[in-house]
Amino acid sequence: MSLLDIDERIIKIAELADIRATPITDLKEPDESGVEVGILSGAINNTANEEVAKRMRERSKILVALGDCAVFGGVVAMRNFFKLEDALRRAYVQTESTDESGKVPKSPELAVPTKVRAVSEVVNVDIFVPGCPPEADVIFHALSELAQGRTPELKGDLLHWH
Amino acid sequence: MTVKLTINDKEVTVPVGTTVLRAAESAGITIPTLCDHPNLTPYGGCRLCVVEVKGARTLQPSCTLPASNGMVVQTDTPQTREARKFVLTLLFSERNHFCMYCQMSGGDCELQNSAYCEGMTNWPLPPNWQPYPVDASHPHMVLDHNRCILCRRCVRACGELTGNFTLGLQERGADTILVADLNVPWGESTCVSCGSCLQVCPTGAIIDRVSAYQGRQADVQQVSSICVGCSVGCGIELVVRHNTLLRIDGDWQAPVNEGLLCEVGRFMPLEDKRERLLTPLVRKDGALQAATWDEAIGHVVNKLKPLAGENGHGVAALASTRLPAEALYSFKQLFADKLGSGMVTSIEEGATTAVSGQLAQSAGQPIEGDLNMLKTADCVVALGVDLIGNHQVAGFFVKRALPNGTKLVVIDPFENALHDLADYSLRPQQGTDFDLLQAITAHIIALGLAKHEPAHLADLASYTAEEVSRITSVPAETIKVVGQLLATATRPVLVYGRSVMRGGSTKVLQAILELARTIGGLDAEHSRVLGLKGRANSSAAYQYDLDKPLSLKGQQAIYLALGDDQPGQRLAERVQNIPFKVVQACYSSPITAMADVVLPTEMWAEQAGHYLNLEGRLQQARAGLTPPENIRSHVAVFQTIATQLGFSLDDNWQPELSKRVPINLI
Amino acid sequence: MGKQKVTIEPVTRIEGHAKVTIHLNNDGTVDHAFFHVNEFRGFEKFCEGRMYFEMPSITPRICGICPVSHHLAAAKASDQIQGSPPPRPANLLRELMHMGQIIQSHGMHFFELAGPDLILGFDADPAIRNVVGLIQANPELAVKAVQLRKYGQEIIRLLGGRKIHPNFAVPGGVNKALTSAERDTILAGSVEAIATIQIGLAIMKDWAAKNMEDINKFAVFPTGYFSLVTSTGSLELYDGDCKLIDQFGQPLEQFNGRQYLNYIAERVEDWSYLKFPYYKKMGWPGGVYRVGPLGRLNVAKQIDTPLANEEFKVFKSLSGGKPIENTLYYHYARLIEALFGVEQVRVLLDDPDIMSQEILNTKRDMTGEGVGVIEAPRGTLFHHYWTNDKGQLERVNMIVATGHNNYAMSTAVDSVAKTYINGQATHGNGNGYHIKEGLLNRVEAAIRAYDPCLSCSTHAIGQMPMIIEMVDPSGLVVDRLQRD
Repeated sequence: MSLLDIDERIIKIAELADIRATPITDLKEPDESGVEVGILSGAINNTANEEVAKRMRERSKILVALGDCAVFGGVVAMRNFFKLEDALRRAYVQTESTDESGKVPKSPELAVPTKVRAVSEVVNVDIFVPGCPPEADVIFHALSELAQGRTPELKGDLLHWH
Repeated sequence: MTVKLTINDKEVTVPVGTTVLRAAESAGITIPTLCDHPNLTPYGGCRLCVVEVKGARTLQPSCTLPASNGMVVQTDTPQTREARKFVLTLLFSERNHFCMYCQMSGGDCELQNSAYCEGMTNWPLPPNWQPYPVDASHPHMVLDHNRCILCRRCVRACGELTGNFTLGLQERGADTILVADLNVPWGESTCVSCGSCLQVCPTGAIIDRVSAYQGRQADVQQVSSICVGCSVGCGIELVVRHNTLLRIDGDWQAPVNEGLLCEVGRFMPLEDKRERLLTPLVRKDGALQAATWDEAIGHVVNKLKPLAGENGHGVAALASTRLPAEALYSFKQLFADKLGSGMVTSIEEGATTAVSGQLAQSAGQPIEGDLNMLKTADCVVALGVDLIGNHQVAGFFVKRALPNGTKLVVIDPFENALHDLADYSLRPQQGTDFDLLQAITAHIIALGLAKHEPAHLADLASYTAEEVSRITSVPAETIKVVGQLLATATRPVLVYGRSVMRGGSTKVLQAILELARTIGGLDAEHSRVLGLKGRANSSAAYQYDLDKPLSLKGQQAIYLALGDDQPGQRLAERVQNIPFKVVQACYSSPITAMADVVLPTEMWAEQAGHYLNLEGRLQQARAGLTPPENIRSHVAVFQTIATQLGFSLDDNWQPELSKRVPINLI
Repeated sequence: MGKQKVTIEPVTRIEGHAKVTIHLNNDGTVDHAFFHVNEFRGFEKFCEGRMYFEMPSITPRICGICPVSHHLAAAKASDQIQGSPPPRPANLLRELMHMGQIIQSHGMHFFELAGPDLILGFDADPAIRNVVGLIQANPELAVKAVQLRKYGQEIIRLLGGRKIHPNFAVPGGVNKALTSAERDTILAGSVEAIATIQIGLAIMKDWAAKNMEDINKFAVFPTGYFSLVTSTGSLELYDGDCKLIDQFGQPLEQFNGRQYLNYIAERVEDWSYLKFPYYKKMGWPGGVYRVGPLGRLNVAKQIDTPLANEEFKVFKSLSGGKPIENTLYYHYARLIEALFGVEQVRVLLDDPDIMSQEILNTKRDMTGEGVGVIEAPRGTLFHHYWTNDKGQLERVNMIVATGHNNYAMSTAVDSVAKTYINGQATHGNGNGYHIKEGLLNRVEAAIRAYDPCLSCSTHAIGQMPMIIEMVDPSGLVVDRLQRD
C-alpha cells in the first residue's frame, strides 16, 4: 500500500508500465503468460505465502522483494524466537480478553503458519528494495528504473532499512 | 622519529608507532571501522578496517598494523570491499538486528551506516533467529544482546578507561556473550553506572532509558559545558531537544575527563524529581503566595535596608558552591562588601578548602598539582578520601592505572571502598593519622632516601614504626614498606579529602605536605599533592572568602542563595528561627517552605558561567537550556537588589579568583 | 454431489490478507459464506521481553496503513507504564498527527479502494476497476484524491519525520514541537482538503440516490455500536470514554477504556485468525457490535466542528436519528469523519498551545501496566501491556479495530452472498457452478465497506488467484474455475 505514497507519480508509473495484479487492483494474480517484473512485499510466514512466492517466481522475469519484511523477514520474524504453538496459544487462548471459546484456529481453510523467512530464503530474488517502508522516492526510483528496463541501484539517500 | 608510507598513492609521514588506520586518518583518508575507538586500545576484532599492503600475503587490519617506512597501502580495492561486505554479512547473520524499531537506526548506528556504505540492500546470509536476552535490570541503561556485535568497545571502556572491569565476555566463538561480572544481571553487578559503555557502543546494544527514541543525533542540539557535580569539573555535552535535556555525554575533547563521566554527572541530573519553582513567592498572612518580581524584591529590599552595616545582628548570607563564579562574586560583593555583613559564606562553610587554603596562603605558593598526575602515577596514596564514592572520575584514573602496576596505598580509619583495591590498606585508629604520616616520613629519612630533609627533623625522631604501630594499630612492617614504596616511587601522588581536615586543624595536612616534600613531591615548581574540594565551585568560593563556618547567633535575616543545590535537613533546622528568610532557589524544598520570600532562579544547565575546579582550572559552563519565562539568573537578582539598595556591583570576578591564594590558573 | 464451495482469494482492495468461501447447496443456492482472515502474526507473544518504550516503534509495523494508530495507542499505554501523563501540547500534537492519519486513510479508502466500485461500478471490468482505471476515467478527480491522501500523510511527515512509521510519540509526550512554518503549511492545505472531501460527499450522495435499492438490500442488519465519545457525547477520535449503544440507539455502557476487560470479550472461531469481540454482558453472539465510521456516527450525538456537523445532521436524518444499519453507508460516514478530521486539524492549529515546547513529561514513576485506547480509522483500538518493574514487557494484549467488525463482516458476506448469488449460479463446463465476477465483487465490496486492516491481526499483502472451488462433502475439490 505504501506504493500509493508515491502520490501523483503513480500516474507516471501507470504510463510506463501496465500494472497488473496488485492489492489496489482486482486482478488476483500475475498473468499465467508471465510478467516482466513481479514485486513481493511481506515476509513468508505461512504455507500460502510460500505458494505465492513460488508462483510469482515462476511467472516473473525479475522478482523484486519490496520492504524490510520481504527483504529481511521484518518485525514479524521476532515470532521465530518463540515456539509457534506458544505464540498461537497466547493469541487465541491465553490473552486476557479471549473467552472460553479460545482455541488455536485449525480450519483447513486457513493457511498454516510457519517460521518467518525473508523471500530470498524461499525463492531466488533479483532485486532487493529494503525499507520499513521504503520511502516513496525509493519505490518510485526502483519502479521507474524497472519500467524502463534498467536495474535499479540503491545507494546514498535511496538506501535505508528502517 | 617518523616513518613515511604511501596510502592510496598519497605520501604520509607519521610518528613511529602510529597505526596505518591513524596514519590514513591524518591524511584525510577514511577507512571503515567498527571496533575501533580513538580513546581505546586498538583491538583488531571486527576486521572491517582491512587494507591491502603491498607485499603482504593477506589483507591486514589497519587498526592494529603499525605504519612502517616504505609501506604501500591501498584502502579501497575490490578485495577490501569484498572483505568488508563479508564481515558485515557475518555480523548481521550472527544476531538479530531489527533496524526498523531500533532507536539508533537512521544515522546513529555505526553498523547500519557501514552496511549502507558498502551498498548492502540485503543480508546474503539470513540470521539463524536464535533469541538473545534483553537485560533491563540496570536502572539507567538497557542491554540488548540481539544488537551486540561483540566489538568489545564497552568491555575495553569499562576496563581501560574506568578501571571497573564489570563488563566482560563469556564463552568463545559463536557462543561469546557480553556479561556483567560472572554473568549476573547488569543491575545487580559491580557496575558503577558511569555510562562509558553507553558512550562507546556503536549499535543499539546499549541504550539509555531517558534519551531513547527522543531523536537522532541529527535532530538534537549538543552544547559543550561543564559538569557541576563535584570539583573535578568534567567536560560534558548536553544533548538537548526542544529545550529538554535528554542525555549528558562525556566530552572526549575535555582535558580533565577525556570523555569519562560518573553516574552523578551523566545520569543523576536526568532523574531529578524535585518540583521546579516557577514564580517568586512572598509570605502573606502566614502562607507563601505567588508574587511579582517587583513585589518580591521590594519586600527583600525593605527588610535588608535597615540591616546594612549591622555586622553580627544584621543579615547572614550563604551561597551554594554550585553557583558560577560570576554569581558567587556578585553575592559576596552585595552582602560582604556593600551590606557589610561579616557572616557571608558558602554552603560547605569551607570544609574542603579552608585548611588547604590557609596552608597555601602561608606558603605563598600553590601546594597542589593537577589531575593528570593520577593518569600516570606509579604510586597513589589516598588519604581520607573515597574516590569510589565521590569525585569518581578521579577514582577511575586511579583504578585504571592499577593493572599497569601502579601501587595504591589507602590511609583511612573509616569504611572506604578504595580499601578493597589497595595494595596497602592502612586503617589507623581514629585521630592517629598524623602519627602514621610522621612515622612514614621518619622511616624514609631513616632509610636515607629523603630527597628533602624536613625543617623540624628532630620532631620526627620519636615516630618510630614500632611506636606508632602501637598507637595506630597499623603493623610496623606495613609502615616501613609504605615508606620504602613512596621513597622509591618515580611518579607518586598523594590525594587527600576533607576528612584529613577535621575540625579545621591543619595538622594532618601539614604532615602530608611534609611527607610529600620528603619524597621530592613538593617544591616551588611543582606539587605531587592533590586535594579534593567538594563541589564544583568550592575553590572559587574560597577565593571570595566564602569559607567561614556559618554562625547565626543574633542574625536578623538570612539570605540563602541555594540555586539547584539540595541542602540537608540540618540547614533548615539551623535557619528555622531567623526572623526573616530569603531563599533563592530552583526547586521547592523544606527550606523554601519556611522562607518569607522565595526567588526562583536558573538551574545549572540554564546558566552560563565559570567554575574553578580542584586543580585551579578555570572552565566555562554554557547554558544548554532556556529557563522558564519567569526565572532570573542569580547575578540579575543580586544586581536588582543592589540597585534598589543604592549599590552598584562590578564584574571583576576573574581577577579576584587568585587574590587570596596564588593558584595555577590552568 | 454434495455441497459446493466458492473461494474468493485474495479479497482485494483491502489492507491485508483474507479470503471468502461460499458454500453452495446442490441447487445452487448459498448455504453459508465465510470470511476467513488467513494469517497469523503473533505480536501478543513476540513483544514479550521487549522494552515498553520500544512499543510505539514496534507495533506500527503491524501494518503500514494506519501505523499512527498503533504508534499512538502504544504511546498512551507507555505513558501509563512510565507514570508520565503527557503535557497538554503533546496531546494536541498527537491528536494532530492522528487527524493526518484519519484524513489519509479515509481519503485513500473512499477514492482509491472503494471508489472504483462506486464510480466505475461493481460490474466494471476488473482489469480497469482500480485506481488506475479511476485515473483514466476521471484524471482530475484522481489527482485530487491522491492529493488528499498526501495532505494527511504530510501532516504525519512534518511531525514524525516520515509518512509511514513515524518516530514521534514517546512515553510522556512527543519528541518534536511544531514550528510556525509547519503550522502554516498544514493550515494552507486544509482548504483544498475540505473541498476534495466535499466532492467526495457529493459523489456519495449522488451514488446513494441512484443505488438506493442496493443500499437497502446490501448487508443491512442490526448490531450494537461502539466508539469513543467526548465528555458531551460528541464524535471523538483521539481520547475520551468508550460508549456502547444497542441496536435501537439506547446507551448500554459508558466507561474508561482502561476498564475494557470488564466489558469486552473475544470469541475464537476455528475458521479465522481474527477473533470476534463482543459485549460481555450480552454474551455471544447477542453482544456483537460495530465500530468504525458508521459505528462512531451512530454512537455520537453530534460533531463539534461546523461543516461535519451539518453533514452529520443530514446523515442522521436518513434513519430518523436511529442507528443506521446499512453497510454501504460506511462509505458515507467515512467521508463525514474525514471532513471532521480536516476541521479538527484547524481547531488544533488554532490552539495557543500547539507550538509550545512543553511536549515532554520527564518525571517517571513506573506503574507496570498501561492501556492505550484510540479510535483508529477503522474503529476502536486497544493496546494493553504489563511490564516488570524495569519496564520489560511480560504480557501484551491487543484488540484491533478491524476485529470488532469481524462479526459484521462475516454477517455482511453471508448476507450479500445470499442476496445476490442465490439463484445466479449457472452450470459451467464441469460439474459445478459458474458465477459472474461482478456478483463476487459485491461480496468483496461487503468486506471493503468496513475498510478492514487485516494486517492488524494477521499479515500483509498477498496475491492469490480468485478461484471457485467446488468441493464435495468429503472436502475433495471436484472442479476449479478461474474468475470470469
